Amino acid sequence: MEILSLMSNVMDLNQWMVLSMFLLFILFLFYGIPVAYALVGVSLIFVILGEFVLDENRKIITEYIDFKRTGINYTKLGANAGRFFGGVIKNPVLVALPMFIFMGLMLDQSGIAQRMMRNMQLLFGALRGGLALTVMLIGIILAASTGVIGASVVLLGVMGIPAMMKQNYAKPIATGTVAASGTLGILIPPSIMLVIMSDQMAISLGDLFMGAVFPGLILGGLYIAYIVLYGLVRPNAMPLPEHRVPISRKIVFEVLLSVVPPLLLILLVLGSIFFGIATPTEASGLGALGATVLAFMNTGMSYKKLRDAARQTMNTSGYIVGIFIAANFFAYVLRRYRGDDIIENLILGSFDNPYFVIAFILFVIFLLGFLLDWIEITLIIMPLMLPVIHALSITIEGYGVVGDPVVVWFAVLAAVTLQTSFLTPPVGFALFYLKGVCPPEISLGHVYRGIIPFVILQLIGLAIVFLFPKVITWLPAVAYAN
Amino acid sequence: MANQPNPAGSEAPSNFGNPAKEEQLWGDRIVVFVSHWTSWLFPILVIAIVAQVVLRGIGHNQAWLDDLHWWIYGAALMTGFAYAITTDSHVRVDIFYDNFTSKKRTLVNIFGLGWLLLPFILIMTDIMFHYAASSFVAREGSDSPNGLHGLYLLKMLLVALFALAVIAAWSALKRNLRRVTEPAFYKLIFCALPAIWFLGERIAYYGFWWHLRLSQPDLNPRRIPREDIFDYTHLTGLALLLAVLIVTFAWSRLRSSGKGA
Repeated sequence: MEILSLMSNVMDLNQWMVLSMFLLFILFLFYGIPVAYALVGVSLIFVILGEFVLDENRKIITEYIDFKRTGINYTKLGANAGRFFGGVIKNPVLVALPMFIFMGLMLDQSGIAQRMMRNMQLLFGALRGGLALTVMLIGIILAASTGVIGASVVLLGVMGIPAMMKQNYAKPIATGTVAASGTLGILIPPSIMLVIMSDQMAISLGDLFMGAVFPGLILGGLYIAYIVLYGLVRPNAMPLPEHRVPISRKIVFEVLLSVVPPLLLILLVLGSIFFGIATPTEASGLGALGATVLAFMNTGMSYKKLRDAARQTMNTSGYIVGIFIAANFFAYVLRRYRGDDIIENLILGSFDNPYFVIAFILFVIFLLGFLLDWIEITLIIMPLMLPVIHALSITIEGYGVVGDPVVVWFAVLAAVTLQTSFLTPPVGFALFYLKGVCPPEISLGHVYRGIIPFVILQLIGLAIVFLFPKVITWLPAVAYAN
Repeated sequence: MANQPNPAGSEAPSNFGNPAKEEQLWGDRIVVFVSHWTSWLFPILVIAIVAQVVLRGIGHNQAWLDDLHWWIYGAALMTGFAYAITTDSHVRVDIFYDNFTSKKRTLVNIFGLGWLLLPFILIMTDIMFHYAASSFVAREGSDSPNGLHGLYLLKMLLVALFALAVIAAWSALKRNLRRVTEPAFYKLIFCALPAIWFLGERIAYYGFWWHLRLSQPDLNPRRIPREDIFDYTHLTGLALLLAVLIVTFAWSRLRSSGKGA
């Protein structure tokens, strides 16, 4: 029992409990237990501790250490039903989640990407680095089709890498292009990560979508500029194709025919939000319908494809909602142990400058991105950061239209940070997905080398967003001003 | 690192994630069957959303459609939750897991399913049951006067869907256990010990409750759980658990020795 009183000199009981909750969670994670199971399991263990050990009526340890009633026990678990229902089910914004997933799957199945690849290759063939640009543009246009990062990296990798290898591109630039453009999808709206972020950070989804448009375009622009410059400096790395087809009117027309429909789809989704025709949730339904129609027109949609897309949607949204439920419960138990206060005070107490606080949080998110997918980070970490962000004395002009501009700004920063993290060697996991679909002559070393310039570009983009919040707040302000 | 997603066309998608046919247990078949049918809710949801946009455009906003959207979403996603258990697609960090032997992986899965997940969804089933029951008693409706009333129906459905998740987890547990050993019932119980204990506790709780309710009709139902006997539901549950464990163990021993002879 001396140990107990010694421990209480360092931190009080609640702090120990919160710390051990996270440590146990991390332990389970490393054993490969699914995140949702680990979250609920850890929470239940701490409910049991609260019920049997820490109950003040049982006075097991109260005599020895200073301990505030933590107040979680089985009876209080009943409240989780309302929390679950209100947070996960009765949540109209989240209806957008399965809809955007469905839309992405439909786009994937429609063969639009392959068609764009075929046609744009002809158009950009004469241009140095045309193939890399093609992949990049497809990545940006089809950003909508993703959310689950692996999917778009794999799609672009399967299409782009063999084509670039055939044209004797340097391996690093080929892989770098694919990985970078594949992850852009989590940032460029409509992205399902932004849907979840807006829910967790209690900001308007419309604001967040509009806010992420320019950062996404800036990053895309930086990528393109880099590829063009690289082609000029090192022409050998991106040789021109041997059989060049002269650009005819027909080719241009074909390209337009393949690029315009998906562009229209994106415009349909974002435009209906921008002009206030539909709420973001409804825009997701419109997008899903649009993608289905596109798929029908393009490849002749079959019953089987529709069925498989629906089933795949069920599976994907099922595991996302699993983490939702689990993180919701975890947060509840954590809060009963005052975890949110403890973390807030810890972070706020460590720094004087509010911008350092933001930078610190982003750094933590960056590190977590090596280990966890964005789903877990947005659901477990972001809600804990919300009170911290609110407590900071940063003011960002919201033009009287954007509610909570600081949080919107922070959410976009976090999104860019996560994307950077997924690209950063040695453990960014977009790279591993990519390696998985590369032909064997491409080594992980090539992938690492190729991505470094893009990581630097990411950091530049992050700095721009960090220093000029206007990039984010301007568009939503304009969109909702009228 | 998340599970490898299914890139379009890279494998036969008709059987993505589903356990192999010969490995499926009856529980898996139920979950797969229900989920496959429920997945049609997504196209239906698309139609419902588009209908709302169109109707509002022409000035016939339907408040009940707004409610219907998240009703469908809730039902479909909770089915998806169970489905993802069956298809083992809940996201995990696989840096070390990928290098485990297949036996160790199975053990990790058994622990995750039986000791961590199953107790939670059992508890949620129980909690949601009370939640739905009180909603039903109040005949809870929609927030909006023209909304979709009968909210208790959705809440009752959620109870059923948590029960579906229980079936999914139980089957997945048994399927995993089969990979390492003969899935005798007592082994299964051991692999889901906390969940079964909780189940026993609930049986004791409801047993006591109904016993008191029926034997003393004049007792106020709200006061019943405050009787002293309810302090012992944990222990009664534990006793039940041990009893079942011993009986099934003895039974399986008897059976296997009978087979041997």
